[in-house]
Amino acid sequence: MSGDMEQIYNERLKRYVAAMRNEKPDRIPIRPLAAEFCAAYAGYTCQQVTHDLDYAFDAVLKCCADFDWDAAVSNMVFVWTGSVDAINLKYYTKPGIDTPADSCFQYLEPKDDDAHMKEDEYDALIEDPTGYLANVWMPRVSRDVQPIGEPSTYRNNLAWLKGGMSVLQYFQRLGEQGARMKNETGTVSAIAGCLKSPFDIIADKLRGYRGLCMDLFTQPEKVLKAVDALAPHMMFNALAGADPDKNVPITIWMHRGCVPFLSLEQFERFYWPSLKAIVEEIWSQGHQILFYAEGDWNENLKYFAELPEQSIIFHVDKSDLFKAHEILGEKFCLSGGIPNELIAMGTPEEVKDYCKKVIDAAAQDGGFIMDAAAIMQDDAKIENVKAMTEFTREYGVY
Amino acid sequence: MMNEADAPKLKPGVCIPWEDKRKEYPQILGDEKVAQKVWEDIDMLAYIYIWFCLYGF
Repeated sequence: MSGDMEQIYNERLKRYVAAMRNEKPDRIPIRPLAAEFCAAYAGYTCQQVTHDLDYAFDAVLKCCADFDWDAAVSNMVFVWTGSVDAINLKYYTKPGIDTPADSCFQYLEPKDDDAHMKEDEYDALIEDPTGYLANVWMPRVSRDVQPIGEPSTYRNNLAWLKGGMSVLQYFQRLGEQGARMKNETGTVSAIAGCLKSPFDIIADKLRGYRGLCMDLFTQPEKVLKAVDALAPHMMFNALAGADPDKNVPITIWMHRGCVPFLSLEQFERFYWPSLKAIVEEIWSQGHQILFYAEGDWNENLKYFAELPEQSIIFHVDKSDLFKAHEILGEKFCLSGGIPNELIAMGTPEEVKDYCKKVIDAAAQDGGFIMDAAAIMQDDAKIENVKAMTEFTREYGVY
Repeated sequence: MMNEADAPKLKPGVCIPWEDKRKEYPQILGDEKVAQKVWEDIDMLAYIYIWFCLYGF
């Protein structure tokens, strides 16, 4: 790394970390969670960046170089078809194969009667979560992995081998990509480590949201025990991928805990206690958590205010950014809040006006990171992303 | 975070505990700790992969 690039990187890291600790850096850091937007900007299709890591990484690097962002995710198109196809996974549509090449990958929610975990399997999950996943869940979500007791096949054996090798390769390539971002563009790799709430995992990947909602009424105690059984594993895996230097945060991708997916009473009973304990434990080990709070979490903000000061960065999607600042701003950094529909359909002037409104209201004392409300896909207009970036660079100086 | 009674029977990070693998060896003539460390390190890779399939994609 050149001396100049090292200095730029260190300045950006200092700026980014200061904001995340709810302090006032020299200026507002810019950290877009940019996914297929990078592909569109670099001239690639969604298929190319979902399938081929070389395209995906090049697209991110081109954005880092051209937009001068402080931090970026090394590959926000997180579903790599190399790993998905290695096990012949059922629950994603792949751009260029299942859908047109210029469409984003999609998650397929299973039908109610075809959930990946059956309603009478809670005890097996609770008894041995890892064994359940390997022996029962994997054969259900993979077209190639055979259930225990069934004759093994060539495809079964290769699925385990290729799956494991592909993920190992992916982790290695992610590390290389982070080094390239640092050395070639002076950009901070924004996040490290992945956390999901135990409740969301049951809804997303095991029982399905509708199935789990029924379980809340028919077998609530089993759901609670399953949440408790999953919690230590979710925490372990989050910490396994965390930044050893404890600079950048673990990210939790929260989907289905907010109103109206769950009532506040259900949130208090099923969602929050285990997640709160995980956050407190991870924070006690020195890692912050970026709360990517997908959807509208206005009714839940008061619970997040219970967390230790600085322990999270609250990312605003559909939540009211100004209300979030009022309730959480004393303790935590906020990020995001620039509506994706505005970035997709508005004008640069409208984007700048909105950025000004956000900065004036929520970023005066530091503790704010500029970003779109949600992950930016290929519908984000380039001129509007430029407007958000350049306006913040000029107006966001403290 | 949780009561000891509620703690999982297998700790996070483990698929097949060393204690189970150890029973397959009538004796270990050298340093058992070396054998245990390598077993647990590789076992953890399998654990990480299985759970990554659940939460990572």
